[in-house]
Amino acid sequence: MQDTEDIAAEAEFEEDEGPSFSDSEDFEDDIDDEELLGDVLKEGPQEADGIDSVVVVDNVPQVGQERLEKLKNVIHKIFSKFGKITNEFYPEAEGKTKGYIFLEYSSPNHAIEAVKNADGYKLDKQHTFRVNVFTDFDKYMTISDEWETPEKQPFKDFGNLRHWMEEPDCRDQYSVIYESGERTGIYSNDAKEPITVEERARWTETYVRWSPKGTYLATFHQRGIALWGGEKFKQIQRFSHQGVQLIDFSPCERYMVTFSPLMDTKDDPQAIIIWDVLTGQKKRGFHCESSAHWPIFKWSHDGKFFARMTQDTLSIYETPSMGLLDKKSLKIGGIKDFSWSPGDNVIAFWVPEDKDIPARVTLMQLPSRQEIRVRNLFNVVDSKLHWQKQGDYLCVKVDRTPKGTPGVVTNFEIFRMREKQVPVDVVEMKEGIIAFAWEPNGSKFAVLHGESPRINSSFYHVKSNGKIELIKTFDKQQANSIFWSPQGQFLVLAGLRSMNGALAFVDTSDCTMMNIAEHYMASDVEWDPTGRYVVTSVSWWSHKVDNAFWLWTFQGRLLQKNNKDRFCQLLWRPRPAILLNQEEIKLIKKDLKKYSKIFEQKDRLSQSKASKELVDKRQTMMEEYRKYRETTIQMYQEQRTLRLDLRGGVDTDDLDSNVEDWEEETIEFFINEEIIPLGDPE
Amino acid sequence: MRPILLQGHERSITQIKYNREGDLLFSAAKDTVVNVWYSVNGERLGNYNGHTGAVWCVDADWDTKNVLTGSADNSCRLWDCETGKQLALLETSSAVRTCGFDFSGNIIMFSTDKQMGYQCYLNLFDLRDPQQIEDNQPYSSVLCSDSKITSAVWGPLGEFVIAGHESGEINQFSAKSGEILKTVKEHSKQINDIQTSVDLTMVITASKDNTSKLFDSASLEHIKSFKTERPVNSAAISPIMDHVVMGGGQEAMDVTTTSTRIGKFEARFFHAAYEEEFGRVKGHFGPINCVAFHPDGKSYSSGGEDGYVRLHYFDPHYFDFELEA
Repeated sequence: MQDTEDIAAEAEFEEDEGPSFSDSEDFEDDIDDEELLGDVLKEGPQEADGIDSVVVVDNVPQVGQERLEKLKNVIHKIFSKFGKITNEFYPEAEGKTKGYIFLEYSSPNHAIEAVKNADGYKLDKQHTFRVNVFTDFDKYMTISDEWETPEKQPFKDFGNLRHWMEEPDCRDQYSVIYESGERTGIYSNDAKEPITVEERARWTETYVRWSPKGTYLATFHQRGIALWGGEKFKQIQRFSHQGVQLIDFSPCERYMVTFSPLMDTKDDPQAIIIWDVLTGQKKRGFHCESSAHWPIFKWSHDGKFFARMTQDTLSIYETPSMGLLDKKSLKIGGIKDFSWSPGDNVIAFWVPEDKDIPARVTLMQLPSRQEIRVRNLFNVVDSKLHWQKQGDYLCVKVDRTPKGTPGVVTNFEIFRMREKQVPVDVVEMKEGIIAFAWEPNGSKFAVLHGESPRINSSFYHVKSNGKIELIKTFDKQQANSIFWSPQGQFLVLAGLRSMNGALAFVDTSDCTMMNIAEHYMASDVEWDPTGRYVVTSVSWWSHKVDNAFWLWTFQGRLLQKNNKDRFCQLLWRPRPAILLNQEEIKLIKKDLKKYSKIFEQKDRLSQSKASKELVDKRQTMMEEYRKYRETTIQMYQEQRTLRLDLRGGVDTDDLDSNVEDWEEETIEFFINEEIIPLGDPE
Repeated sequence: MRPILLQGHERSITQIKYNREGDLLFSAAKDTVVNVWYSVNGERLGNYNGHTGAVWCVDADWDTKNVLTGSADNSCRLWDCETGKQLALLETSSAVRTCGFDFSGNIIMFSTDKQMGYQCYLNLFDLRDPQQIEDNQPYSSVLCSDSKITSAVWGPLGEFVIAGHESGEINQFSAKSGEILKTVKEHSKQINDIQTSVDLTMVITASKDNTSKLFDSASLEHIKSFKTERPVNSAAISPIMDHVVMGGGQEAMDVTTTSTRIGKFEARFFHAAYEEEFGRVKGHFGPINCVAFHPDGKSYSSGGEDGYVRLHYFDPHYFDFELEA
């Protein structure tokens, strides 16, 4: 540590020797504090600060002096989570706290956090905190006493949004995108040919989606999503989400989730937005790191909950508040995958092995969060969850490396959800699995296993007595995908894309192949919602020629081939759940024969009407053509002399017009050679 | 029907033509060879030797005395049909795309491609004036500045030439003055081929826009349309039935995978009045470049990218076939 004297001496010393670094005598500092210390000054107390960082907490228990210290501790514990509490005020009256308190934070952001998270916090049965920013009180106080009735928004009548369900012939609709996305059309499905309902150019910028019950058609645009519906497909709602790429609906159609990679900022998460479909309001925004496994948020079947999985965490939110269920996420270390039962509010998730703890699959009931079943699995490499459509069964496909056996073996763990304590049965598979699918409305499942070119298809039945029976196996299949009819019983095994569109139509009631066919280079297979028709298509997005969609019956009989210039995508319009109860359905099934007769007669009439229409059309076309030919032939006859002149009098009007000119010539042609061996002359 | 396979070319066929009486079939290909065959049994008579570039077009006059060919070697040549001797060589500045004799056989027309700075011209020579041939001076040369001619045929009495263009337009050029008498634009893409009906009253066009259309020769009125999903390379009108045949295929660039079914390229038969397809004939290993009906309507031929010409005689049941009406 140098003496000040020395420093001064040194300074003097330098002044004599080298350049001076001191300011000149009359230098005036013209830089202001703002420039120099801007960042520091910002953190200094600001005039408005005082009020902006204050929150008012209401519904605080009214306590007397003896319990005040404890109350303050509890409040502190809860509220210091959102930031540093710099000040607090507990107004009192008649020896007890009034029931509301003031807390001041070090920054307004903390106050906002406190309001966001603590408002609605249930301290105990009688006390649920109401937290507000102090400045809000000002805002509400200055509302004028004059009540102005809000302007009446004109009622936008979109008509009957379920209009398509009233179609007298029960035709299903489907959307078709063609001309590489330039045109989108909606058609009514008829066995003869599609009936156009609506066709628009540039209706969507990329592709379309139907809502789960078929009420809305969603189209994608740079600025967001538009929903269309009703008889004339009017625009019902618009959702602004710049650069939207993916959407998802809640099963009840009340909410829609959109994802855009563009819109995320740290303070205002906008990558994923959840919207209320009917009002068009933004309900909540979320961050999203990657959209690799869309949908990121999975909905429960009744739309009451939605959940997402992040590192070691399962976050479950409830509607309509859009807040975390019980205000906290579930910590599940290592969670790999989860999915909702399509029939109940049950989540299945699995966690891989962790040192000594084996891998396990857990079934959790919501909202109670009770674990209704846990199953340990050993030597697990990977696992996949497959729910049956009604939630009656869960299949967990487990790839294992069992001790003592080389290679990977696959098991199907079948959970019977409808039985007490959820018993689990195991099916061991000897070969690698290519595809697995449950029968909707039933208890069978189909598996494609093996390795190309030796691919086999097997069908199993989960019986009620606890046995899982292998019904049948077909070998040497050209298939890589399974498509069950939405009503069950029938399915299509398809070899899409690289397998050149091989199709097999199977009836699983007796496991017979109804038909084997091919739609060369088919890229997609779509069943209609009733299970009557199947569409196979070659999309322009995967193959640039032969773009078309073909319509088949569920038995595999080809009905139509529809070529559409640069056809891209066909989607059937989903149907809402059936409104009849079980008894009414039984009654209809009983009278099915009666109804069949009526329908068959109707079909016959329309067929003959069609052929009559076609025959009439052909007759008119032929008449027109004949008339045209008559006039030209007449002109032709009139020009005969001109023709004779041009060819020096030789009549060439018919091939045999001038036989006299012909020469006869006999030409021998070599036709056949036959070698006949003669016997030995001896 | 069992087809007769004519193997005489090493590269793709560009045009096939029957003579007026139908006993001979001429074939031109990219291998510079022009062959002539007996249509009754497919026996090859001989060839017309001389071109040094791909031969794009071939035609025979009404009396089957002379043969006219046009080639990418920038020449249009006249040959004696019987002997094969080259009678005249007309040099051009660019490839000769289409050529033909008029009804009388006295006037020839041919069009040159728009290539390497040279424009597309429709040239008309009168064979009765040997000076024109000797000086290589057509009596009329029409400049087509907008869209080049891709195919052309003569009108019924030699008064005009009906030309199809790259733009899909069809024009009638007067044989005397060269001026455009009529014009229509019904096709949206290039016209690959135009052929006449046997009485020359109608023409059929084959276009890259996947359709083929029937027009009246004199008025250029659009009569019928035949739609497919592939570009149509050639079309012909049956002389005795209300049928048309079309051949086509996908652009070589679009073929990224081969179908497991070989011989997939088909000639398609449409009913001329109903505009409906009623039959297909498989067999070619590549796109079909040219189709032609025999003048008696009892057989037809097709030439393909695979270098083969297939000659088909119709089964009796083809003539009885009728669509319900």
